[in-house]
Amino acid sequence: MKFNPQSQVIVQGILEPLGQIYAPQMKAYGTNVVAGISPAGERSEWHGIPIFDLVEQAIAVNGSVDTTVILTPPYQVLDAALEALAVGIRQIIILSQGVPPMDMVRLLRRAEALETLIVGPNSPGLIVPGQVLLGTHPPAFYRPGPVGLLSRSGTLTYAVAQELTQAGLGQSIALGIGGNPLVGSSFSQWLQILDEDDQTEVIVLVGELGTDQEEMAADYIAEAIDTPVIAYIAGQSLPTLPLPSQALLPPQHRIMPFSLTAESAVDFGTPARKVAAFKQAKIPVAQSPAQVPELVKKALKQKRT
Amino acid sequence: MDLLEYQAKELFQAMGIPVLPSQCISQPQDLKGLKIPYPVVLKSQVRRGGRGKAGGVRFAENTIDAIAAAQTIFNLPIMGDYPDIILAEAKYDADREFYLAVVLDTSLRRPVLLGSQEGGMNAEATFSQVQRVIVDQDFSPFYARRLAIKMGLKGKLIASVSTVVQKMYKLFLQEDLDLVEINPLGVSVNGDVMALDGKVTVNDTALNRHPHLTTLTARLAPARSLPPVLEPAIRLELGGAIGIICNGTGLTLATLDLLYQAKGKAGSCLNLGGDAQADWGAAPLAADGEDAHLPTVGMQSQLAEALALLSQEPHLRVILIHLVSGTLDGTALIDTIATYLKRQERLPRSHGLPALVIRLLGPSHAATLAALATLEGDTAIAAQPTSGDKVPIFCYDTLTEAIAQAIHLAKTNRAEKANRTPKAAKASQKSPTL
Repeated sequence: MKFNPQSQVIVQGILEPLGQIYAPQMKAYGTNVVAGISPAGERSEWHGIPIFDLVEQAIAVNGSVDTTVILTPPYQVLDAALEALAVGIRQIIILSQGVPPMDMVRLLRRAEALETLIVGPNSPGLIVPGQVLLGTHPPAFYRPGPVGLLSRSGTLTYAVAQELTQAGLGQSIALGIGGNPLVGSSFSQWLQILDEDDQTEVIVLVGELGTDQEEMAADYIAEAIDTPVIAYIAGQSLPTLPLPSQALLPPQHRIMPFSLTAESAVDFGTPARKVAAFKQAKIPVAQSPAQVPELVKKALKQKRT
Repeated sequence: MDLLEYQAKELFQAMGIPVLPSQCISQPQDLKGLKIPYPVVLKSQVRRGGRGKAGGVRFAENTIDAIAAAQTIFNLPIMGDYPDIILAEAKYDADREFYLAVVLDTSLRRPVLLGSQEGGMNAEATFSQVQRVIVDQDFSPFYARRLAIKMGLKGKLIASVSTVVQKMYKLFLQEDLDLVEINPLGVSVNGDVMALDGKVTVNDTALNRHPHLTTLTARLAPARSLPPVLEPAIRLELGGAIGIICNGTGLTLATLDLLYQAKGKAGSCLNLGGDAQADWGAAPLAADGEDAHLPTVGMQSQLAEALALLSQEPHLRVILIHLVSGTLDGTALIDTIATYLKRQERLPRSHGLPALVIRLLGPSHAATLAALATLEGDTAIAAQPTSGDKVPIFCYDTLTEAIAQAIHLAKTNRAEKANRTPKAAKASQKSPTL
């Protein structure tokens, strides 16, 4: 993992609506954004970031690139990512929403063979507070500190970070793996990375309705993670709501893994199932974002004594 | 979105998967012009399972029988759905019935081939016996043969079943589908195979790059209830008196959680979507040298639509607006809400307007909240429809306070004058149970 102010970053889709906004924000935060890619665009620079038609042209000028942040329209994401893979970029962060899942399957087959990290799609990316911003996280809500924040959400991640920061708890990193049912890097992968990270003393895992990422993470934590973990699952009030939980999800979230038997599919993706998995793994579960700092402080105190 | 059986079969036929001759019937009289020889099967075209057991599939030997059967089927709801179309299909004598499917397994992040010799109406009961083959690399026909062998097939059937699976996979890939299912695949005494029923689920995110599928689904989609700008939103109808406008799925869920924990009841709930969505069709950027302003993204137009929508709901007494974003544009937000209040003022209405409770988190949200708190509409409020009073606006920088106030306002008796003094707001702050 190479996320620091020195590592070279490009933004693919820099002249698309989100690229225009977030590329300058990342640069302003201190991220070393060396180039933007916008095929057949009419601009040669955007807020001081030089623009190229091809990734390889950017590399010819700047040398090798560590990370690309992709903000192209969803049907162009696969092509952008394959282009980055082809020129040797090994960290790909996809922020765009609406990437078809079979495009991700194609991309992940290639990426796994090349041992490339894929974050997203439909992700807020990541921030290492005080050092580097590779996504849409509002910098004002973050401070450097000991908490590793992992999430499947975007705006909810910001809200949790703000609660932590306000309580005097900074973050070693905050990252959204993406809100789609099918994403690149998993919670488990990041738990392993943060478990080995010296800056991270406690991990906060923010889950929500859908997928079985949280359940797999709970199993993995019980098995292999030494760093204390605090969980918060959005949607815990669902059993009390007068509607089936599936109705809450946009249609693209309703894909279920068919490896499940029909029986276990009944409560697949429900917050109740996730909370049960964390409880079984003896991981404290917060009732609200506001309760997260309290549980983090408790875990830190226990760890430090 | 699930296609209807006849639509799935159109796709099967185009792919070369064997299907029976069939014809779509939209009223019983159409059967007089039936071109398929009797006996036929008449099948209700609904997007629900359990059609066979519910009586939505009937056999007919002649036109008179068929018309009677069609009348019955058109009047038979399957889990609440009435068919618009009946598929009339030639009858097939299946010796055995298999189950076949290609699906995307989101946990494995790979497509999976499924197959079982126990198909038909019993497939669900024997789900655990379904064999599966993970397509971990680029597809090649050996994956389909591997499935046929795992299913326990022998001889000629290995080739005929795996050929069908190959074509199903091709369809799955070509059309970006979430599911292609044939259940049952009829197998005749001499080993011929036939797709007797089929299910195809299209992937909604990929739909726009498949114009052919879009025309199919256009016939299925219920009339749009949301204005186009709110299309990405999730809309919930929960029956309470507090309307919610939020951005992002996780944040919406967290907001609902807190509201329920504090014993509040949500009414309509609108999710405007998170930061990763954009209007990709926005005008391209001007060339070098011309003025290069940052585009304004955002939620303004969606918020206006959402407010207009919720203000039409007579049972809502409060609208809780909870927005979190690094690109929150305070000025535009204030404009949007001021415009909303002005517009409501001019509209004649039969019920009072809900009060607004606002929690924002974003760049300089404190200043925005302060400015918003000074806005007040000259319109009747929910608690007092005829008073000509103003729409109260309450602004908070914590969600806990905002929710406590929303619940307080929702509880306020209709006859009682809505209490919107700072004292009332303060008094309500101690109630949340977190």
